[in-house]
Amino acid sequence: MLFPFHFMLDECMNVLAIGSALSRISPKMVQGSPLASHFRLSRRGQEVLDAKFLLRQTASLIIFESLTSSLFLRMQVLLIENPKRYLFVGSPWLRKVNELKTLGIVLQDFALHDSTVDLLQVQKTQEINLDEAREAVEKLEKQKEGLEQVVEERTHALTLANKELSRAMQSKDDFLSTMSHELRTPLNAILGLSESLVENIYGELNRKQARSIETIAESGQHLLSLVNDLLDIAKIGAGKMDLDLSITSVEDVCKASLRFITGIATKKKISIELILDPNATTIYADQRRLKQMLVNLLSNAVKFTEGGGSVVLKTKSDRERNTLDISVVDSGIGISAIDIEKLFRPFTQLDSKVSRQYPGTGLGLSLVLRLAELHGGSVKVESDIGTGSRFTVSLPWSQSTTDLSPPFKNLGETNLGDASEGPLILIADDNEINLSTIGDYLLAHGFRIIQARNGLEAIKAVRDHNPELVLMDIQMPLMNGIDAIKALRTDRFFESIPILALTSRAMVGDQERCIEAGADEYHSKPVNLKQLVQTILSRLKSTKPR
Amino acid sequence: MYGMVNKAIQDLVTIQFGEDKWEAVKRKAGVEIDSFISNEGYPDSLTYGLVGAASEVLGLSADQILFAFGEFWVLHTAKLGYGDLLSSAGRNLGEFLDYLPTFHVRVGLIFPNLKPPRFETSDRLAEQVTMHYYSHRPGLSMMVLGLFSGVAKMYDTPATTTQIKFKDKGDDHDEFIVRWGDAMNA
Repeated sequence: MLFPFHFMLDECMNVLAIGSALSRISPKMVQGSPLASHFRLSRRGQEVLDAKFLLRQTASLIIFESLTSSLFLRMQVLLIENPKRYLFVGSPWLRKVNELKTLGIVLQDFALHDSTVDLLQVQKTQEINLDEAREAVEKLEKQKEGLEQVVEERTHALTLANKELSRAMQSKDDFLSTMSHELRTPLNAILGLSESLVENIYGELNRKQARSIETIAESGQHLLSLVNDLLDIAKIGAGKMDLDLSITSVEDVCKASLRFITGIATKKKISIELILDPNATTIYADQRRLKQMLVNLLSNAVKFTEGGGSVVLKTKSDRERNTLDISVVDSGIGISAIDIEKLFRPFTQLDSKVSRQYPGTGLGLSLVLRLAELHGGSVKVESDIGTGSRFTVSLPWSQSTTDLSPPFKNLGETNLGDASEGPLILIADDNEINLSTIGDYLLAHGFRIIQARNGLEAIKAVRDHNPELVLMDIQMPLMNGIDAIKALRTDRFFESIPILALTSRAMVGDQERCIEAGADEYHSKPVNLKQLVQTILSRLKSTKPR
Repeated sequence: MYGMVNKAIQDLVTIQFGEDKWEAVKRKAGVEIDSFISNEGYPDSLTYGLVGAASEVLGLSADQILFAFGEFWVLHTAKLGYGDLLSSAGRNLGEFLDYLPTFHVRVGLIFPNLKPPRFETSDRLAEQVTMHYYSHRPGLSMMVLGLFSGVAKMYDTPATTTQIKFKDKGDDHDEFIVRWGDAMNA
């Protein structure tokens, strides 16, 4: 059927014929009935449907609106002459698929050539697409909300974990600080008393006694270096080691490092050689840490080299890479390729046989690597079993630093003369061994001594005796050294008295706290007594008489 | 095949067997898509993979799965999105089947990448019609049987479908006789 929705009108606008589909959905629209009882024109102002109107509409679309249902018909009119007839062809105007059901129309009611059904189906497809897009957006929103919640929960958990970590780090720092103090305090006594004994401050020693004391001092020094290494590794691990970078003389650092091992090397009949690159006289580095690295490497070289062997310290600059390579080359036992990988792990010693023969903690190389990395450098190892090893520390270096002069000073010896007239030094320390060790040494070197065992006593002693210099321990009962220094600095009579802070705590920030409180210098215990005397003398020389 | 088909398989497994089973089917088929887009084209191999995996996971034969899918397609999926359109395709089972060839022509027009099957009708009696099914996709005749069963259920009209030609067995297409009403006793 070509036009299932058609109808034909006579001149009076009565129905003459009607299409099958239209007849089914508008059963009252029968032959002879006036169209006006079934449909009206849907356009406003065009209420009258008559021949005159239709004549003008042959080229226009005419929309009829059902008076009894929601049906709209979009029609075209064809004029037929003799007799005069008006044939309307078209199809229902549908905006949504569900109107099919409402109007009781099935797809088969439409002519095959009518694209209304297709358009409805396209529209439905678009609706489904839109619905799915909407669903997808909702799903994404929900996922986003879920994710936000997860992020919030994770952030909360991380915050808690961070707090816990901070607490753990603080505990670790506290532990290190305490251990540092606990280990250094007895060491201070061991080293200080050994030094005094060696210098016959407590009387003459026989040869056997002197040798024993030397062994005690050496063991104490070894223990001290281990404690220091451990603390340094802990500090680097906690990211709390700051480098004190300055223009440093390469030659001086190398020579100072070699001095540490010369004694043992000579004993073992190992030859020592220093080969310096004349183009690299200075480097921007932390002098103390650089020396620490080299001493570590040189000590290992001497330790693992048999008598009659050689150890060479060699520097070589590379202008293109802007690096300075400092190599320690030995003719020692060498390291296998497999063992080289384990070398830089802390507490690793290569094999038990070697460790029994060459004792050590295995901390040294790990520390060297970490210090080199802190400088922005690296460490390389080349070795063959039985031939020897070459450890090379590569550090950032620039040619421009070589023109600058190294900032080194020499301290002079001073004869103090009669002890009864020597400078009066206050030693404030709650540890009796420290008091007597330092006190005895200073007395033996012509100083006069007064003692205090806590901060309050120290303040009183300064006010009562007006000493020329104060050695102030930091950890003391009743009042600590920091508070005592602060109190003294607020007194205008003692605001310029030289105060050297001495502490067994060697944690980050200690030095700053002491200096901030008003100390002139900071020294971590155990102090080298000879050096302490030099420091006191130097400080006294540079201090104006009060 | 269009995503709506894969989506229908997803819905069928999820509704009738549970979300876990659907995840298992996807895993088995190696499919990592979370939601299929109805009017997006997907490779036929993906659909066949899902049917194969569903068969293994659910312990049903591929024929059972395809038949169930055919019914489900008419009664659930197509009805969800195209329900009004589908129910307007005929006032009864006979009219619907008569219109099926035209319906698929129109579908092909709207979804140019769908490559829908072609239906023809012949030997129309009052309550019986022979349906000819032409498709380039092999092995789906059980799904067609499920579709006819679903349509009969949609019109609440008991019907039987008998396949009389088999493409799998060398015929040039599949052919089915659908009977309802008194014709079922003939």
